[in-house]
Amino acid sequence: MFKTTLNVNGVDHDVDAPPDSPLLYALRDDLELRGPKFGCGLGECGACTVLMDGTAVRSCVTPVSAVGRARIVTLEGLGTPEKPHPLQAAFIAEQAAQCAYCINGMIMQAASLLRHNPRPSRGEIKSALNDNLCRCGTHMRIVRAIERATGSMQE
Amino acid sequence: MSASHVTGPDPGTALSRRSFLQSMGGLVVAFNLFGGPGPAAGAERSSAVPDAGNLDAWLAVRPDNTATLFTGKVETGTGVQTALAQFAAEELDFPFERLDVVMGTTSLTVDQGPTYGSMTIRYAGPQIRHAAAAGRQALLDLASRHFGVQADQLVATQGMISVAGSPDRVISYGKLVDGKRIDVEIGGSGKGFDLKVAPAVRTKDPAAYRIVGRSPPRKDLPGKITAQFTYVQDVRVEGMLHGRVVRPYGVGSTLQSVDERGLERIPGFVQLVRRENFLGVVAQTEWAAIQAAAKLGSTLSPAGPQAAQAKWSHWNGLPEMGELWNTVRKTVAHDYSVASHGSAATAFARASRTLQATYQTPFQMHGSIGPSCAIADVRGNRATFWSGTQMPHDVRGDMAQLLGIPRDNVEVRWVEASGGYGRNGLEQVVADAAIMSQAVRRPVRVQWMRWDEHGWEPKGPPLVQDLRGALDERGRVIAWQHHVWLPTFEDTHLIAAALIGRPDVTGTTGIGEPAVTYAYTFENADVAFHGEGRVGLMTSWLRSPAQFETTFAMESFIDELAAAARQDPLDFRLSYLEDARAIAVLKAAAEAHGWDRRPTGGRAGGRGMPARGRGIAWVNRDDTRVATIADVTVDRNTGRIKVERVVVAHDCGLVINPDGLKNQIEGNVIQSLSRTLHEEVTFDTAHVTSRDWVGYPILRFEEIPDRIDIVLVNNKPDQPSTGGGEPSTCPTAAVISNAVYDAIGVRLRQTPFRPARVKAAMI
Repeated sequence: MFKTTLNVNGVDHDVDAPPDSPLLYALRDDLELRGPKFGCGLGECGACTVLMDGTAVRSCVTPVSAVGRARIVTLEGLGTPEKPHPLQAAFIAEQAAQCAYCINGMIMQAASLLRHNPRPSRGEIKSALNDNLCRCGTHMRIVRAIERATGSMQE
Repeated sequence: MSASHVTGPDPGTALSRRSFLQSMGGLVVAFNLFGGPGPAAGAERSSAVPDAGNLDAWLAVRPDNTATLFTGKVETGTGVQTALAQFAAEELDFPFERLDVVMGTTSLTVDQGPTYGSMTIRYAGPQIRHAAAAGRQALLDLASRHFGVQADQLVATQGMISVAGSPDRVISYGKLVDGKRIDVEIGGSGKGFDLKVAPAVRTKDPAAYRIVGRSPPRKDLPGKITAQFTYVQDVRVEGMLHGRVVRPYGVGSTLQSVDERGLERIPGFVQLVRRENFLGVVAQTEWAAIQAAAKLGSTLSPAGPQAAQAKWSHWNGLPEMGELWNTVRKTVAHDYSVASHGSAATAFARASRTLQATYQTPFQMHGSIGPSCAIADVRGNRATFWSGTQMPHDVRGDMAQLLGIPRDNVEVRWVEASGGYGRNGLEQVVADAAIMSQAVRRPVRVQWMRWDEHGWEPKGPPLVQDLRGALDERGRVIAWQHHVWLPTFEDTHLIAAALIGRPDVTGTTGIGEPAVTYAYTFENADVAFHGEGRVGLMTSWLRSPAQFETTFAMESFIDELAAAARQDPLDFRLSYLEDARAIAVLKAAAEAHGWDRRPTGGRAGGRGMPARGRGIAWVNRDDTRVATIADVTVDRNTGRIKVERVVVAHDCGLVINPDGLKNQIEGNVIQSLSRTLHEEVTFDTAHVTSRDWVGYPILRFEEIPDRIDIVLVNNKPDQPSTGGGEPSTCPTAAVISNAVYDAIGVRLRQTPFRPARVKAAMI
């Protein structure tokens, strides 16, 4: 009925999604991805964050019609348990998660930051993540993990 | 591996132990080796709970020498899955990395009580230790027959058993049990927290621990960090539909009419579900369900009870926000004395100085990042649920009651949810899904919208506390009076049950543990609490129920007395303490911090910009002692508090996983800072008005401390382990209040300490 093509994690997918429906539901329900999470549906918490042409966007308030041919990358597209992205490896090394429901957003936001600023200061990291909410209180470790990843990404 | 399924096996059919274990990739026969005819063997459609007295209920060993621990406890993000696996691997002498854990699912695990109150390590830990030790003993007995030698000549290590002195005579646990059936009764009595398992078995000497006390990485994190993990929010069941609730406009509004026009034009809309005041929509897709619910009034800011297509009665039964504290004082069902000795009245009469203060704390919420979610598949007199509840075995009973079907026909398959921090909406949403699935005769997944969660999750209750202290002419405390007004925080009724007109079908309103303690050695004391009433909004336990608030009042007020007596607040506390472990954590925190002894408020006269201060407080929560110190700066112009450094000294006895505990302590500190600085539920007389993260802000990255330093005290093998999931929440509000007083000479006695309140207090 509402056929559209989305490029997600390097592959074109045909999905049946109304143009005004949020990208989040196409990713979660049509493509069965689990990285992006429903947190608020209001663009306030960051749990749904994905990369759109390399920049972090809130998929819960991004309509499918706004995606066009942009390349979407989700947490699944960054790396796997066997071949994790440096950010994922750093989050595991720092044990930087508790319930981890927010962690998708933390990693995707950090990936966007590092793409634009490969050597962020601690203050720049905190500022970039300021609109991503974590309720378990894992903030200290999340910052440490991103600092660790910037070290390893420069190697 | 994860215990969850994206498509569950045969929805509506009980997930038998046998079929579950088959799905794990092993041979069926191997999984019954410990248990003979296990609870589900030959009874594929029973959803009965395993028998705690049988080894099979706790452990399975596969031919490839991997093993599974089954536990009724659940992971909520705190790392207990990993810690309990450490207990089991330790006693079983089995490689930690080859042991996985199945949690919570009612047909697969023993009911070890809900996962709350920092009680998992303390109570479930010993149960699992004993079960695993009994497993090791059973394996040694098998090996004894296999090798034809006495068990005392065998050595069990790393999942292998060998004959002492003959290293070539060795067999793995998996091979040893391969193809055989052994029925091992280990003994089990009592239930829940009081369950005693394998009482006769000998457990290891803690001094010999190799796995307990180390910090192996958490088992769940690689999957969570690479999006391979299945949360309950990710579960998809064959034939499943999507549901959304449409809650009443006012907390007590009744449903007058529903205009269904336009719903049928939403692509994928299936059905309206209406029972008395319960209203929900079911659709093929989430987006269709969300759109249909929005038409009926489920939005962030509904314009009024009659503004959308569902019309609700006008209801305005909540107190005015400004009247909340008076309402709390008036809503008293019972009075309890906590401590009463000497004669406080006489002492106050002869005091050279009397101080008096009132502390107030608001409704606060759990605020899970992922809204509550559950899937129900109700078919006739059978029901299956997928839920992330912290109390799956209790939810099973509640659902049997709600649906009027036998308990043994109900199964709750537990799948981890977004962190809950107490009783949030995870139990409530199971009932919502049950009613919708029953109506449409299909599996229905219900996820609350953000405003459902903020608006309808049960809240931590508001408290009012009056304190009085008397000093003699030498500045000694001669009397202490602490009276607490505390509404119930144990309202476990189900919203959906009330909405369908069956409010008494399940749940109760209890009192909970008062968490009003008295720890000092003053000559005269009068400590009491008054409460148990219900104050407008539904309440439940929220991390460190009531003790976060009572510690705020007690530990701030003793700071007030220390300041009045012009004494150092650490020394002042120490002079009234006999509890050696409390004294030890206070001293350890002070040492790690570099505490310099001087009266509090010593810098109040300064005009420094920003103003700097330090504060200290401690708690004994269920035998865990915590002392916290913080350094803060206060901007006198804006009223903004910045926490620079936090030091925590923590004594919960023997620590199972030090890094996991530190993760918990950091989390407690950050979350409680958030509750201290930001959090307050707002409401008008109809309903909650803080229905998103703008209305209910929480701490953000730019506000976190620069450092959190943690000292683990009394972490010794001979010390029993108490809890670590909550206690370090308790001191924070007092620590910050005391540090702000030290910085600017202003006492903050009401949370949250938002800049406007700090500014107002400075005038």
